[in-house]
Amino acid sequence: MALLHRTALPAPRLLGRRISARAVLIAVAVVVVAVAALQVNQFSRAASTGYTIDALTRQRAAKQAENYELEAQVARLSSLSRVESDARTKLGLVPATRTIYVTVNQPLPSGPSLPARFQEQAAAAAANLPPPPPAPSLWKRLLQLLPFY
Amino acid sequence: MFGLRGRMHARLIALAGVFAVAGLLLAARVAYIQLVDDARYKAEARNEHYGQQVVRAARGAILDRNGFPLATTVNAYDVYINRADWADDAAALKGAAVIAPAIGRQPAELIGAVRKDKTGLYLAYSALDFDKGTALQAAKPVGLRLVETTRRQYPEGDLASNLLGFVGRDHTGLTGIELDFDKELGGTPGTIYFERDSIGNRLSLGAERPGQKATPGGNVRLTIDRYIQRLVESELDQQIARTGALGGTIIVMQPKTGAVMAMASRPGFKLSQLDLNDPNQALFRNRAVTDVYEPGSVFKLVTAATAIDLGVVTPNSTYNDTGYAQIGTSTIRNWDYSANGTTTVTQILQRSLNTGAVWMSGLVGADKFYASVKKFGIGDATGVGLSGEPDGLVRTNADPNWSPVDLATNSFGQGIAATPLQVLTAINSLVNGGKLMRPYIVQEMDTPGGAKTFGPQLVRQTVKPETAAQVADMMNQVVEGVAGEQAQTKGYHVGGKTGTTTGATLADGTVHNGNIASFVGFGPVRDPQMIMLVKLDYMNDVLGGQAAAPVFRDLAPAIFAYLGVAPDDPSAAR
Repeated sequence: MALLHRTALPAPRLLGRRISARAVLIAVAVVVVAVAALQVNQFSRAASTGYTIDALTRQRAAKQAENYELEAQVARLSSLSRVESDARTKLGLVPATRTIYVTVNQPLPSGPSLPARFQEQAAAAAANLPPPPPAPSLWKRLLQLLPFY
Repeated sequence: MFGLRGRMHARLIALAGVFAVAGLLLAARVAYIQLVDDARYKAEARNEHYGQQVVRAARGAILDRNGFPLATTVNAYDVYINRADWADDAAALKGAAVIAPAIGRQPAELIGAVRKDKTGLYLAYSALDFDKGTALQAAKPVGLRLVETTRRQYPEGDLASNLLGFVGRDHTGLTGIELDFDKELGGTPGTIYFERDSIGNRLSLGAERPGQKATPGGNVRLTIDRYIQRLVESELDQQIARTGALGGTIIVMQPKTGAVMAMASRPGFKLSQLDLNDPNQALFRNRAVTDVYEPGSVFKLVTAATAIDLGVVTPNSTYNDTGYAQIGTSTIRNWDYSANGTTTVTQILQRSLNTGAVWMSGLVGADKFYASVKKFGIGDATGVGLSGEPDGLVRTNADPNWSPVDLATNSFGQGIAATPLQVLTAINSLVNGGKLMRPYIVQEMDTPGGAKTFGPQLVRQTVKPETAAQVADMMNQVVEGVAGEQAQTKGYHVGGKTGTTTGATLADGTVHNGNIASFVGFGPVRDPQMIMLVKLDYMNDVLGGQAAAPVFRDLAPAIFAYLGVAPDDPSAAR
């Protein structure tokens, strides 16, 4: 008679073993530290970005102010009094004492009066038509080769 | 019923209830403070820790019709010094050594001024150039606080001063376009907050944060053309200097649209030498719009147009000029005491005969005459959109104390008061087919809702188009049908009418008994592109034909050439 020897199965080693409180504490500490580090990192990055935005805002304001200043300078330089002053002092010009009007008795030339590249636009404008659409870009043309596009 | 234990239990429950209710009330109060009324407490806390400073918005530009700026704004800095930082002598000397030269002051004087008070900020300089301010900021002197601000600049110098007006120290418009369009030009000021100590001093290394952002003002584009305006002002100044006039006004308008291309008045003020404390505030007025005068013989055009339009006369109708007109007990004579015999309506205008105007008004009758005057806009503000424009004065036969002599004198422009702009607008209808156009001086402005544009606006038809054409033709004959007429313009067929009356305005705005010489002219006759009113005030007797007509003659060809109007006779224009 054969002896039926059954050995008891070993208890599952990992699943069944209880996780120690120490491990839990360490895990929690790790998570807390990670969250804290992440938050510190975020704060740091936010502060850094804030400084960058602030610097860029100041830079933009400065450029805008420079732009205003340059616009004012353009206005000053193109003012009539300045133009007249330069014409008199630098170029030695004087006000015209007589105006000469030239009567042109010749008819207008029959050929096109505009260079070829403007003729299409001029014709469209004359016919009150919208200008032709611009040529598509290289990428657009490549995309158009795709069957599903 | 209850034992001792039961009673104690009930008391504990009651006590717990009291605490619970108190806790709930406290929680509710905290929630109210934190969630409902938080803004108030935040503001209180902020006010406790932060000071507030207003940042001016960049003011919009005033542009001419072609977009050239007549008034514009540039960034600048207001230079403040924190008094607390200069409490120490060494720090004050160090700071003043850098700041004072940059703002054109002496260090010792600056330190003395700053130390008149112990706390707060001292405004050392207002609107320092942006470049200088930036350089000063880079030097980081002790106590320096720079606040961004703006400064008004006038690229064309003193051009159109009385029209543009000016802004005050707080950058709000005080007169002229600056005042009338202050809302559009001004924008919305912003704020910045800074940390302060318990007594209000700004902390040296304290935080600063922006509050409400400043919104820049919009631009206002005028119908004024800077070139024509400059021509007009130059000619007006020269004529005043040549003839010793007290002052004067010139307005140039586009006949078909009513757009004002130039508007100049003297005496006035210079933007480059502006003195806000000048006791003579009358110098700041735009007299072309605000001051009334008797139009004089220019008004005979209205009388003639009314009579022709009603069909009671034609340009060739005649009357016998005996040299005087008797109205009741009053005798009205011609300005030169002449008697011209049989005279046509056209000759009445050419010779500017008062008796002829009285004759025409008698044919028209008071009711129809004043109705027509009203149609020409005399007695009503034009609605040009500039402040200070009066209605003018017309006493009609419906008013008390009116007498038939009033009708007679009104017919040649006396006893009626109108502004130069009203007179020009009325006469313009006669060279514009009878269409009375509302004059306008702003063609476009930026508003928070987008750009707003203004264009020609027909007010009403004053006379029939054929009547207007006949009167315009007679105006041409006034200028070209009389030998030696001072308004004759080389190369161009023009028309016009002179006027002379009393009541010159002095520099302080008071009215004097001297003469007002005026002329209203237009051209070219075939297709009017420009109409101009010239008015000059004198202490003595000067006629419109002598003083005002030559101004038109000198200005008209230059304006026509600038506008690209070909001459009628090129050979004559040379």
